[in-house]
Amino acid sequence: MTRAKYSNIFYGYLFLLPYLILFCAFILLPLIYGLGLSLFQWEVLSNAPPRFIGLGNYREALGETYFWKALGATLRFVAMIVPSVVFGALLIALALNALPEKSGGFFKAAIFAPTIISISVAGILWRWFFSAEFGLFNAWLAPLGVKVPWITENRWAMKSVVLMTVWWTLGGPMVVLLAGLKQIPEQYYEAASIDGAGAMRRFFHITLPLLKPVLLFVIVMNIIGSFQVFGQTFMITRGGPELSTRVLVQYIYETAFASYRLGYGSAMSWLLFIVIAVFSILQFRLVRERE
Amino acid sequence: MKKIRLRLIQFFLLAAAVVFLTPIALIFLTSLKPDSEIIHFSGIFPRQWTLDNFREIFDTPEEIPIFRWLLNSVFISSAVTFLILLVNSMAAYALARLELPGRRGLFVVIIATLMIPGQILMIPVYLIINKLGLLNTPWALIIPAGAGAFGVFLLHQFFLGIPRSLEDAAIVDGCSIFGVYRHIVLPLSKPALSTLGIFTFLGSWNDFLSPLIFLDSVDKFTLPVGVALFQTSYAAEYGLTLAACVVCTAPALLAFVFFQRHIIKGIALTGLKE
Repeated sequence: MTRAKYSNIFYGYLFLLPYLILFCAFILLPLIYGLGLSLFQWEVLSNAPPRFIGLGNYREALGETYFWKALGATLRFVAMIVPSVVFGALLIALALNALPEKSGGFFKAAIFAPTIISISVAGILWRWFFSAEFGLFNAWLAPLGVKVPWITENRWAMKSVVLMTVWWTLGGPMVVLLAGLKQIPEQYYEAASIDGAGAMRRFFHITLPLLKPVLLFVIVMNIIGSFQVFGQTFMITRGGPELSTRVLVQYIYETAFASYRLGYGSAMSWLLFIVIAVFSILQFRLVRERE
Repeated sequence: MKKIRLRLIQFFLLAAAVVFLTPIALIFLTSLKPDSEIIHFSGIFPRQWTLDNFREIFDTPEEIPIFRWLLNSVFISSAVTFLILLVNSMAAYALARLELPGRRGLFVVIIATLMIPGQILMIPVYLIINKLGLLNTPWALIIPAGAGAFGVFLLHQFFLGIPRSLEDAAIVDGCSIFGVYRHIVLPLSKPALSTLGIFTFLGSWNDFLSPLIFLDSVDKFTLPVGVALFQTSYAAEYGLTLAACVVCTAPALLAFVFFQRHIIKGIALTGLKE
């Protein structure tokens, strides 16, 4: 090897160095550290030194009602939000795609706009909308004599959070799906029309099969993201009423940063990670088997 | 028939746009109402327009240091954006272009971490930041942000598309690796850099969980956390709270209006390039 080549390699690693330092310090190390922590009993408030307990934290979580309740709340949220967002986003993307070329920019921007609002602002706003007494929604419903306990009753609270989340997050999937629709060659539709295929047939035989990879990507990303829901419930319902909307990330947050049980919190976050991984793998498997 | 169909679709989209925009408009319109009109809702528009809510949040810096929060937010988001653009573009350039032993494996490891949900790092990063003595400082939010793999991935893909002949010509002319990066790769990558920059800035501006964990004292808060504090301390004063929300939302909304093409195109790309 020539000297110049050695110096190139040296400079190359120099270019990588700043990023690698940050990557090791704030991603790789925390990953290993967190896994290690999950095997220790470490309760900062009790002043006791961390104690190795093997899988004790995991066993505790799996045997505890609060963990299952939080996992249940998370699953309920995921089960409601993913179909709502994906279906809504697909419907709007299809409508936008049916407009003449180069139009619809305003509609797209308007529907995307809520995604750039901070969750604390969005949360405050919707908490006010949902408020039973002074709330906007109940003020609008008052002439009908209806008063909805949006966030004060168990059977409504999670649905209200889902409603708000549809508004807040629909824009991203919509834009991705629209880009996917635009990639489908126009000729396919023309050929199908000449053959006398109606709108329904064209949708099920051209649009849906060709959109499938993008649609799958959107669904998987949405599931992964939805499992990590936190801000909405933290701001709007605070996990209530009766912990019916306390999702896993909120429970982990409270365990680690309010009760300072760091080992237990780490173990629960790994459990959440496992749940997410299992769901993503299952999803890809299912799709592959059908093909 | 075709015309009617198009009109129906337009009507549907218009209705959707109104539904999605109304809550945003309500933040602004309600902040201009006196409290009495908020508690007894009397229409979307104020009957009596007033700036009192804004006057009050800006005039009581000891109780509501909103100006301080605004400065904190501007500083943190700008610093995060600068750090990510610099560090990620250097790493992406080295990984995409330089003949380094082991770069392929390294790239795979970095990209694999994109799948890791952020909350799994929350507790260990908190402890590391604590060890470094950075808790309750802006650096706790800035430095770890540079480690994200998203920017490296995005820029790496973009750099691969730049014709190599340009770089080779510059090297033949005696340009150093740094010179190629600085004078050829970066200027040609403006679209990708600006997309990443806007994403990063907005993401950092709106970030809620990290400041909630890493910052303790009120004067260190960013706008989203400061605004959330309102909800607990000024629960009944919707007017003040919404005025603070306007301060938090307006900059992000302005950035969106200016750069919406970039932002929307960037989202579409990240979804398709997989």
